[in-house]
Amino acid sequence: MSLGHHHAWLPPGHLRPPDDFHDARSVNGYPKSFSGSRTPQMRASADIDGSHAGGLISDADIAGDEDPRIAMFRELYKRSEAKINTLFANQKSAEDALRGAVADSDQPQAQDQRADEPAPPPAPPKKPARKLDDDDYDEYDDDDEEDDADASPPAKHKALGWSQVPSSFPSPSRPPSGSTSVGPDAQKEAKKETLEDIRKKLEEDKKATEEAARRSFHTLFYTLENDRDAMLDQQRLEESERQVEAEMSGQASAGNNANPTSNGYGSLSSANLGASSLTLKNLIARIDMKRSLVQASDAELRSLMSEVRKNRSKWASEDKIGQEELYEAAEKVLSELKAMTEHSSAFLTRVNKRDAPDYYTIIKHPMDLGTMTKKLKALQYKSKQEFVDDINLIWSNCFKYNTNPEHFLRKHAMYMKKETEKLVPLIPEIVIRDRAEVEAEERRLQMAELDGAEESDDEPIMSSRGRKAPGKSSSKKGTAPVRNTPSGSEPPGGQASQPPGPVRSDSDVAMEGTQNGFATPPPGTQTPSDPAGVGAGIPGSQGDAMEIDGLIPTSTVLSALPASGVESEDPEYKVWKQVTKKDRAVIAAERHRLFKGDKLNSEEPALLRTKAGMRRWLRNQKQVNAEGDKAQESTSQGMGSGSAGETLAEGIEVDEDRVIPDYYDVMSGVPDLPAQLLWKEDSDGNIVDASEEFLRVLPRGSFTQPDSKLARKMDANMRQMQETRKICSKIGIVKQMQLQSQMYQNQFQKYQPEPFVEQDVPAHVMNDGGPVISPWVCRAALQRSVAKIFYHTGFEEYQPSALDAVTDAASDFFQKIGETLKSYMESPKVPATDSAEATTAAQWKRAYTEPEIVLHTLSSVGIDVESLESYIKDDVERLGTKLSTVHDRLRSLLSELLRPALADGGEDGSSAFQDGSEQFIGGDFAEDIDEDFFGFKELGLDKEFGLATLSVPLHLLQNRMYNAAQAQNTSAAQAITLFPPPASYPRITAANLPSQIGLVQGFFASRLQTSNNEPLVEDLELPPKQRPMAARPRLPASGKIPPPSGPSGPTSSPQKRPLPPTAPGQPAAKSGGSEPSKKKLKKNSGVAVGASDPAGEGDEVTAGGESSKAAPAKATTNETFAVDANAKGEGEPGAPEGAGIEKHASTGTSTGIPGSSQSNASAVALPNGTADDAS
Amino acid sequence: MSTDRTPKYRQEIQQMMFVSGETAEPSVDTTTLIEEIVRQQVVEILARSTALATRRGVRSISTDDLIFLIRHDKAKVSRLKTFLSWKDVRKNVKDSDDKGGADAADFAAADDPIAGGVVAGPQDVASKPKNKRARVGLAWDVNSFYSVQVPEREDEEDEEEEEQNYATLQRLAAADERTKNMTKEEYVFWSECRQASFTYRKSKRFREWAGFGIVTESKPNDDIVDILGFLTFEIVQTLTEEALKVKEREDREKNRRGGAENGESIKKRKRETGLFDPPEEGRTPVEPRHIREAYRKLQATPNKNIAMLLHNGRLPARMPLRLI
Repeated sequence: MSLGHHHAWLPPGHLRPPDDFHDARSVNGYPKSFSGSRTPQMRASADIDGSHAGGLISDADIAGDEDPRIAMFRELYKRSEAKINTLFANQKSAEDALRGAVADSDQPQAQDQRADEPAPPPAPPKKPARKLDDDDYDEYDDDDEEDDADASPPAKHKALGWSQVPSSFPSPSRPPSGSTSVGPDAQKEAKKETLEDIRKKLEEDKKATEEAARRSFHTLFYTLENDRDAMLDQQRLEESERQVEAEMSGQASAGNNANPTSNGYGSLSSANLGASSLTLKNLIARIDMKRSLVQASDAELRSLMSEVRKNRSKWASEDKIGQEELYEAAEKVLSELKAMTEHSSAFLTRVNKRDAPDYYTIIKHPMDLGTMTKKLKALQYKSKQEFVDDINLIWSNCFKYNTNPEHFLRKHAMYMKKETEKLVPLIPEIVIRDRAEVEAEERRLQMAELDGAEESDDEPIMSSRGRKAPGKSSSKKGTAPVRNTPSGSEPPGGQASQPPGPVRSDSDVAMEGTQNGFATPPPGTQTPSDPAGVGAGIPGSQGDAMEIDGLIPTSTVLSALPASGVESEDPEYKVWKQVTKKDRAVIAAERHRLFKGDKLNSEEPALLRTKAGMRRWLRNQKQVNAEGDKAQESTSQGMGSGSAGETLAEGIEVDEDRVIPDYYDVMSGVPDLPAQLLWKEDSDGNIVDASEEFLRVLPRGSFTQPDSKLARKMDANMRQMQETRKICSKIGIVKQMQLQSQMYQNQFQKYQPEPFVEQDVPAHVMNDGGPVISPWVCRAALQRSVAKIFYHTGFEEYQPSALDAVTDAASDFFQKIGETLKSYMESPKVPATDSAEATTAAQWKRAYTEPEIVLHTLSSVGIDVESLESYIKDDVERLGTKLSTVHDRLRSLLSELLRPALADGGEDGSSAFQDGSEQFIGGDFAEDIDEDFFGFKELGLDKEFGLATLSVPLHLLQNRMYNAAQAQNTSAAQAITLFPPPASYPRITAANLPSQIGLVQGFFASRLQTSNNEPLVEDLELPPKQRPMAARPRLPASGKIPPPSGPSGPTSSPQKRPLPPTAPGQPAAKSGGSEPSKKKLKKNSGVAVGASDPAGEGDEVTAGGESSKAAPAKATTNETFAVDANAKGEGEPGAPEGAGIEKHASTGTSTGIPGSSQSNASAVALPNGTADDAS
Repeated sequence: MSTDRTPKYRQEIQQMMFVSGETAEPSVDTTTLIEEIVRQQVVEILARSTALATRRGVRSISTDDLIFLIRHDKAKVSRLKTFLSWKDVRKNVKDSDDKGGADAADFAAADDPIAGGVVAGPQDVASKPKNKRARVGLAWDVNSFYSVQVPEREDEEDEEEEEQNYATLQRLAAADERTKNMTKEEYVFWSECRQASFTYRKSKRFREWAGFGIVTESKPNDDIVDILGFLTFEIVQTLTEEALKVKEREDREKNRRGGAENGESIKKRKRETGLFDPPEEGRTPVEPRHIREAYRKLQATPNKNIAMLLHNGRLPARMPLRLI
């Protein structure tokens, strides 16, 4: 036992399997509590009665090896005792209500003293003590929790003392039962402590697993597919809760009514003191001690106590001892079972007859969780056994009804049964008894004690602690084993004062759960989370609140549940499902609410971020990012600091702790809207358009080549080329002019290249930063650059397809370069130093510096800086010099071409044409060199016409330009046209003949006569070809100049001028003789001879008649006319033409026309004569 | 292409290798290997230039086609241009005055692309201004930018050409260095070796050897054969120099590893021939493996040729033959 003591005082954090020391201790505990006082006062009685009883048993042990801590407690106790004594001493004089109450507590003290002895105290004061018990216990557990944090009991006691009800004394103060009581008290305390230890350990373990699970939630992504199921389950559960609630509402009133009545019936007693909290217990003990001084009745004291007490469980009952504890535990178990919605849903409500018509024939005693809840609320359970029996009845009913081993409900029931077995041990073994009965028993015991029955001493002690199984027979079981066994197997002994362990202490239950690890079931009903625990504890007496609060814990507690193999699921996933079920259900329900049918429900309030949610999200993010324990520390610190700073969200803090990954909380992760997108309104309600602030105008020059040395050089080269090409075109023109006889102004396009100007894009407004993403424009710009390089390389013009192809290749190439650059830039960073502590981000540097990146990239595409340099040097700069030399040469070539005379003049000649040769062609240079190139000045034309320049339009320059004479002719002819033509002389007619001078009158008269008095036409008025001198005199083929023929009359047509038309006769005859070369004429030669006589016209006709091919005379004359006209029309008389005419005539004759008429003869004679001339 | 693989240019190749720095007598294997490499190169050159000519729409290849293939090697281009211009001068001289037999002999000497045509050049020009060297224009020169023939001018000295001659001068200087300590007989031998050519006065053999008529038309221009002769010499020289480097490195490595068991390779690294150096003939000649390694190095694909295949580009199975 002493051993047990020792270990009981181990620090709470000390993990210890429940089944060595504690079991040993509990072995002692159980038998004691078995026959011990069945009083419901658990703590107080344990502290006082039990301790004394224990003291009786084991005083020697305790005294022998008193723990240092016990000694400390004793010390503390003494100190506080002294304080209290002084306090009472001072207060004694002045009586007020409290002191009255204290004074009144004489009797309790007496009872206390009685309780010091193993004998049970008298019944009367018991009823109020019940309430006190609860209260005390609650607080005590609270203390324990805080103890956990402190881990050092002494400190804990102080902290507890100050944090507790102000009116109470510090807990270390012991009941004033004297030093003898200390040992047992401490022993009992120790026992409790060990239990607490277990629980705490279990709780910590559970928290750890939960924490681990929670962490893993952040690292795994779970699908949302089960959310709907969870939601539906949850709804069903709530539905059944509501149902039970509704059904219970009527009975509840009755029960409530019953409570008050019973309340009034109890009395303050030493037994009830046992149930009060430490502080209150001390107070009560004090009061009891000084009962004689307290001038208040028990009833008054009791009411005072009950007023002081804060938290009342709804199950609390004055006259039902053990009810509160039992029901608290039972309710938790029940709600836990119900919360396993995956399996419990079938058992939530009564079996419907419609579903299973024969159910009630098979099942005689139907039972379901809902009914149990009802029964619980109706306070129908008198003991744990009844409760457990009912639960097991459900499962057995199920097995009974569903005989098929494969039936799914059996699986559920099996699972539930297992769970039940895990949970049931948590229910204290309490049989509810009426207070009166208990008191009576106590009285009886007291009597027995007077008899000195030693065994009974133990019993009250242990029963006061009394949470363990009754009887020594179960001693072997210990705490944990006992729990594992179905509680139904345990005898429902009279363990009256089992503290309602689960009621308050999350620590207890959690401890147990974790202590057992995954092998043993965790206690069902406890809240793992502090807020929930607080919520469960504080409102305590409110049933609804309990339920609601209970739900969260139940679902979360399950996280510690092992995957019990009912389903072959991924254990982690299962844990996930269980832990988050409730939250997922809530979230899914929220989501569900947003939809009406399949559409968004516009009526629903908008989704908003909450500060708490965002904070949690941030914290989780941080937590995920951080690593290891250190990170966890920091997050916990962050939590602390966060809670310190989060003044705005106090209220939300409570339900903040949801075990749900962040992706369920989408809203909290949504960042703020950018400022420009906010919907802002100014004071007038107009919308402020913030977008304009973010518009920007694309800076000029984004698509032009930036000015640089290289660009300028290239531009200069290109200009040089253009200039040179201009010269080339002039040279080409000049050369062409030398070859061609005719020139037209539009024959050569003047080469007038435009300078290259890169056009920028028009003003463009952009919405945001960054480059212009416009592939077409960019491509066009690149194409232009490519074209520029082309031109620079020497191509004057290019096909679009070629340009396109090269542009594509260039863009491809640049893309490669870009990608290479990127890959170099994105290469992972390397530690800047080799030292091991290069962990901070500042010590990481990029793998490559920027020059390195560029050089690497260039080398990977096969370019080095040297080649780039040499390109600029050779292909740009040297090209420029080459171009300029070529330009010079071509200019000098042009000048040589234009001025052969100056060619030997050498340099000065070419220098005269500095700015091209157009001057020369137009004669502009003449003024410069003071030379009258075209002789205009010589002619005085410039003065005469006031010509500004003596240049001649290029198109006027004909063939050989160096032929100065011709140029002069041309210019002279042109100059003549400048005169206004004088009025033409009137034509000479018969009318104005006399006005002519006498010498020519005769001539004119003869002319007029020949032209039948037609007006005489001037030669100038004739078309050029008919002018007398238009044709050059031609030498006949014979080479002899024909003798000048007779004067040609003015009327004679020019072509006839060589032939004197006035005397056709002789030559005609001659020609007729000379004609015989033509066969057909030969035939008619005789006729022709005869025809020479003009008089023989008729003969001719006759001759024609003689010939076989005689034609009508008319036709002949016609023919003659035709021939004549033909002759006339033949125009220019030349030897060949004459021959042609002769041929014609001969053909005419060959067709059978006898040239009989005179005119015909003359016509024939004409060619003959010509021929004669020619010959 | 000749089906028999009997080497036809063993002596020439040996001479060329000697000029290029290989003092020992290479084995038949080595020269045969070199000959095969050279022939492969020549065939490739011919095929490519024929393709170029075809693209121009001409059946016969011109000098421009050949020069275009090596346009990036500026030193080589400039030497070729020099060679061609001198050849032109020689032809003119021959055409114009048959009387000057002595002159013609001068030009014959000057004509040799390797044997110091540049050295002989200036005085020729000075002595015969009317036969001034015509500058060999290339199709991608600046002059071809314009539609008009750009007149030559005497007074301008092409700085670019000067710069391009730099490599030639370097080479001559190196040859000068080598011949500095030669005796007369050695020098005679040396200059004989320098005149070794694949083509000179053995045009027919070359044509058969290079596969004219199969790769390209059978009657190539005289200029083209001369250019090919020049290029083949260049190929042999480059190969030999590279192979010597390989061999030197190998020897050095062997030396470092194997210690002094091979005494002569230590000496080989010294520039000056010392008094106690073994005679040059004692050196081990370049072996086929050196030639192969040199060839492999010269055939290495530069990054530039595969730049466009950089990112998710696929390397072609076989890169085209690189002209040495």
